[in-house]
Amino acid sequence: MTAPGAVASEVLSDPARPADTLVWAHGVGGAKDLPIPPELAILGAVAAMAVSFGVLALAWRTPRFSGESAGTPVPLVERVVDSAVVRWALRVIGLFFLVYLAFAAVFGQELQLNPLIGIFYIWWWVGVPVASVFLGPVWRAISPARTINAGLTWLTGGGSGNGLFTYPAKLGYWPAALGLLAFVWQELVHPDGVAVHSVRLWCAVYLAIMLMGGLIFGSTFYKYADPFEVLSEMAAKLSVWGRREGRLVVRSPLANLDTVEPAPGLVAVMCVLFGSTAFDSFSHSTPWVKLLAGADWMSGRPWTLPFVNTVALLGFCLVVAVVFALGTMLTGVDESVRRRDLPGQFAHTIVPIIVGYLVAHYLTLLVEQGQQTLIQFSDPLSDGSNLFGTANLEIHYILSDHPTFLATIKVIAVVAGHVLGVISSHDRAVRLLPARHHLTGQIPLLVAMICFTVGGLYLLFAS
Amino acid sequence: MRRLLAVLTVVGALSLLAACGSDEPETDTSQPVTVEIEFSGDTVTPAGDRIRVAKGQEVEFEVKADAPGEIHVHTTPDKTLPYDAGTTLIEVGTFDRPGVYSVESHALGKTIVQLEVS
Repeated sequence: MTAPGAVASEVLSDPARPADTLVWAHGVGGAKDLPIPPELAILGAVAAMAVSFGVLALAWRTPRFSGESAGTPVPLVERVVDSAVVRWALRVIGLFFLVYLAFAAVFGQELQLNPLIGIFYIWWWVGVPVASVFLGPVWRAISPARTINAGLTWLTGGGSGNGLFTYPAKLGYWPAALGLLAFVWQELVHPDGVAVHSVRLWCAVYLAIMLMGGLIFGSTFYKYADPFEVLSEMAAKLSVWGRREGRLVVRSPLANLDTVEPAPGLVAVMCVLFGSTAFDSFSHSTPWVKLLAGADWMSGRPWTLPFVNTVALLGFCLVVAVVFALGTMLTGVDESVRRRDLPGQFAHTIVPIIVGYLVAHYLTLLVEQGQQTLIQFSDPLSDGSNLFGTANLEIHYILSDHPTFLATIKVIAVVAGHVLGVISSHDRAVRLLPARHHLTGQIPLLVAMICFTVGGLYLLFAS
Repeated sequence: MRRLLAVLTVVGALSLLAACGSDEPETDTSQPVTVEIEFSGDTVTPAGDRIRVAKGQEVEFEVKADAPGEIHVHTTPDKTLPYDAGTTLIEVGTFDRPGVYSVESHALGKTIVQLEVS
């Protein structure tokens, strides 16, 4: 028998599911990462707390990050990046993936080997935001929905920013938050979540909504309602790339974070991202697994497991929302700032914490299962072809084979996210809060961030 | 700013020091790990326990069941291990890559054990 841990070369098909079996949701990927050692978790937590209070005690008293006005222009890079050739090439890449995925979804086999699954859950969901941290807002440049919408607008002679109606400002990022929730529900709760027919349906509905939304509200719709674009934009705020009056500039990620504009639903987006990743981690922990396995009332009814998982997923998102809202609102403000506006004003400060935790949670998936997807990429019909020459590549398990190294990266990512978050929130606090509340006013949010970071480290330890 | 950076550097250095591995206590890994699994009706024991396995250690399942079925091991790719009614000894093999591998019964929708390979 081949060693279970190695990649088998034979084609294994999914066992046919009889109609009466309870179908099982377990997300994509085989083995999960080992839990991080307790010493590392504790050290990370201590580091996070030390940094938090260090910043509070030692850091500046007047706002430092000037957001939009900061940054050094980079004309050479700008000329390359903004050239028509590059812009068109990126659009073509996006369209290519649309056609490829449609082909694999419609003509490919109903197997876990279908590259649709890997591209959807790994390259698109994790790869695009990680690329955005390094390259800026990647999805906006390649999104096929945007390309199609631009094409339709050009054909009908309208301006691309406008549709039939203006996008209602009150709606803000709420559609994107719902879209992200729909994605994580599909990934973590849906019993058939990793089946080709299910992913195909999700993608079809997503594309339909994006195209219709673009026609009705113009391309502004994508900025606020495309879950992948919002995710990519948030990750891009941690990159060094920004725009000032249309010119490309290089600026510190902290200054970039300062440029996030509060809008309705922004906090909801953050809570869905963080809550869902936390739930994903928690759902592999022994207490939860034992709870579900021991719950006899759930046997025999196919809806009970998704129901329990949905409640838990929403519960995690809600807890994040409440902790963040309390952290930002329990502070002293004068009459010029409304307490209700505070979460939105501070929403950008948890972006680094979320991205750090997303990296810690999904890094192995991206690096190792991502390589597997690259291998499958050459074989969309799962018939043994090798269209792009990648079908015989070997997977390098550089993370799984070195668990201590992986655990260290995870803790560094989470703590680094925390450090950036604390510095960012400090700067916003000294900008918004009256002088007498500059220090004490930050403590609730610091405590909230420490809760998030320590909670995240605990989940990495307990998973 | 400089003091802040100094504090952060010290904290970062301490973190790296801690990452210089920790020594695991030696356990006898020449013996195979035998997991006793019992299926009866709609329930299975164990239910979600976590079992530590050494890398390269043999794993076997001793399955007692009242009806035939299958156990799924979530390696890459998945392994499906059938068993009959009565007692079946399944040689699962060795796990050569660290990680947490879920062993489940899809028919019952339950996790039997999680094998923590390190």
